[in-house]
Amino acid sequence: MSRAARLAIAALRRAAGGLLLLVGATFVIYITIRSAPGDAIDAISPMGTPPDVKARLMAEFGLDRDPFTGYLAWLVRSLTGDFGESLVFSPGAPVMEVALPAFGRTLLLSASALVVCLILAVLASLLLGESSRRQQLLTGPLYVATAAPSFVVAVVFAQVVNWAVNVYLVQNDYVPPMWYPIPIYTESLMPYVFAGFALIAGDGLFMDFFNAVRAELTALRNAQFIAAVKAKGARTVGHIARNMFMPLLSGYAARLPIVLGGVVIVEYIFTLDGGGYLLLEASRERDFPVVVGISVLFTATIIGMNLLADIVRAVIDPREVAHGG
Amino acid sequence: MMNRLLSSLLVSCALVALAAPADAQVFRYPEDARPTSLLPFFAEDMSSVRMVELIFDSLVIVNKRGDLEGSLASSWTADPDNMGIRFVLREGVKWHDGRDFSADDVVFTIQAAQNPKTVFNAKSKFGFIKDASAEGQYGVHITFNRPINEPERRFLFKILPKHAFKKGTRISRKDRFGRKPIGTGPYKVQKFGARSVSLEVNPDYWAPARIGEVLMQHTPDKSAQVSLLQYSGKQAGVQAVIFLPPKNVPIFENSDQVTLEPYHTVSWWYMAYNHKSKGLNDPVVRDAIALAINREELLEAHLGRGDILGGPFTESSPFYNFEVEPREQDIQRANQMLDEAGYKKKGGVRRKGRTKLQFRFVMDKELASSQALLLGIEAQLKKIGIRVKAQYVDHARYREQVFNRQKYDLTLNVWSFEEVEDVYPLFHSKGVMNFINYNNSEVDNLLDTAKSTRDYKKYKEYMKQLHAVLNRDLPYYFLWSLDVYSGLSRQLKGTFIQPYYYFTSFEEWELSP
Repeated sequence: MSRAARLAIAALRRAAGGLLLLVGATFVIYITIRSAPGDAIDAISPMGTPPDVKARLMAEFGLDRDPFTGYLAWLVRSLTGDFGESLVFSPGAPVMEVALPAFGRTLLLSASALVVCLILAVLASLLLGESSRRQQLLTGPLYVATAAPSFVVAVVFAQVVNWAVNVYLVQNDYVPPMWYPIPIYTESLMPYVFAGFALIAGDGLFMDFFNAVRAELTALRNAQFIAAVKAKGARTVGHIARNMFMPLLSGYAARLPIVLGGVVIVEYIFTLDGGGYLLLEASRERDFPVVVGISVLFTATIIGMNLLADIVRAVIDPREVAHGG
Repeated sequence: MMNRLLSSLLVSCALVALAAPADAQVFRYPEDARPTSLLPFFAEDMSSVRMVELIFDSLVIVNKRGDLEGSLASSWTADPDNMGIRFVLREGVKWHDGRDFSADDVVFTIQAAQNPKTVFNAKSKFGFIKDASAEGQYGVHITFNRPINEPERRFLFKILPKHAFKKGTRISRKDRFGRKPIGTGPYKVQKFGARSVSLEVNPDYWAPARIGEVLMQHTPDKSAQVSLLQYSGKQAGVQAVIFLPPKNVPIFENSDQVTLEPYHTVSWWYMAYNHKSKGLNDPVVRDAIALAINREELLEAHLGRGDILGGPFTESSPFYNFEVEPREQDIQRANQMLDEAGYKKKGGVRRKGRTKLQFRFVMDKELASSQALLLGIEAQLKKIGIRVKAQYVDHARYREQVFNRQKYDLTLNVWSFEEVEDVYPLFHSKGVMNFINYNNSEVDNLLDTAKSTRDYKKYKEYMKQLHAVLNRDLPYYFLWSLDVYSGLSRQLKGTFIQPYYYFTSFEEWELSP
């Protein structure tokens, strides 16, 4: 069998596994949300709503079915791309019409944070070179400082920015500074920049990337084949970059779930109009189709990223496929 | 500590969200909750009620003096037997999409509300209408099922555009109209975003509003709202905070940037006893609990200013009985009563036979100061040998657990009423809001008699009697009504806050640069 065929089979196998995982995850999410005490009717109808009105609302909202039947119906419909309609958050709007733009912003934020983090880690590794005792004095405290969860970093950071804004407003006759409180509805990127900073500086993300990149870089620089390339008088940058790509991609894929988890809270803190805010609000309102829809997007992205990483790894490194990867 | 941290960080975040370019004439205000629907039938939360007021019109409105005034109706005449009313409509009114408003829209609204397949909570408000018919383009005649005094007062509901509902009079909560509404009111919806709604002025309105844009931003954190109001002097903040937390009112008392205006809502706080719970079905226990609680202390420490209640009516209510003396804290008397009734202390908790005075106190996490209030009550009840087990639940679960399944012993909450207190559903044994399982034949008789009378003076007398009976029997322990203030920027001129609806006269508000 040719390498391409083996690669395709491995990729298909992974994709099928990923799909099964996604279905399993949606089942767990759906049943959990539906089993939570209180439903969308409770969230919206005032006390004293007559039982017949409630019953009709239940039917209208599709809550009159038991969770298992409801899930099966949902699964069948979702296979055709119909994820249902929002019940409370934006009544009647198709779930994906609500969830996709919000999740898009979240994904953009998370992915940008990771890219920026990676670039910073590479730059720092190149600048600092190999680890030394002197450097440990610098990186040690930095490790501790960035080990805090991203939402804690966001809290502290917001405090600092808040203080700066206060000072600025008082000194400048309450005219908002151009560099900060620019509202989300004017398409400003500033709140996203702040949130991105919190994501990079929290959860140990930057230091993890930095350490991984530096270790990889050091190992490559000292590798025999690099010494051979150098001996021939050729440039080593291309070789190092190609060999660093795979571990970095794995690290990137492995980190995405953590960043997507952190972003839910960070978004809420920075009042960003993204998937995190939507998820929390829809959960509060028991708008289960929206909660399930947005959860599917989060889960599918994580599974998809891992799948992509596997495929790229297999393309670059044939041993991955040979080992049944 | 964590709360404080989160609050202060949210200040800066909300600031990011609400600040605006220096030159825009925008009225900005934060809301505690998102409006769920801008389709008037389904605008059930207060955030939606306030916003709908800016987008839609009704046939009549209550003006600043409390009198009725024509809005979409220019005049009206009640039928001599009070079995109907004839409205003459304002001419030349246009919907936000440019179509003409006509009598057909009024008839459609009534028919849609009465369509059995249109399911909404305030449906009963349309129950008195027998029929509605258009008389030409600008005349409507509406007939009733029974004679109605001052029938025009019942036409405060908003009018919908017939042409926007292609499927007829069956209107669903999920209709797209709820997100893209078309009204005749002073503002049009520009954008109904996930966490903000922006409105632009309707230039075709018969009395165009003076402020160009309105922006509502969902800002759940109260302290963030207060800080934004502190920046209201210039462009950096918001121009109004609808409900100023009582503890923050003093900050603005002598402010040169913010004025305080009362926002009258008929609402009061209560502690509900589940009358099916062992122990709480005994009036002595209910009375002892009431005597153990120091309402003034709790109110002052956690919520600010207000009036202590002796029953289900506030002092401004026509039904308030001034002869009823609200209870005062008396721990000694409470202990004595429980001793006399045979509840003996064992291990710090009182018992009588199999009845142990230990109760599950369920609290809605979203209720203001819920934790502090419950801690205060817990400490006070401990002094008379009554223990409470606190359970804090989120809003949806609270409604399900307390209102639907009634799995609680004690709880604390607030009732709000549109105009005057209608307590029939709360305390009648068959009342739809009687989630406390209260059953008192004397109360039932009073409520039934009051309901059947057509003499308002007699009705008031019955309500006053009810006030006294409920103060004695304690279906709830009536706690307090709060003095509610809105904080308004001094940039605003010509402001008037309409009780309950808030923005009814918003077109007269001005915003100076």
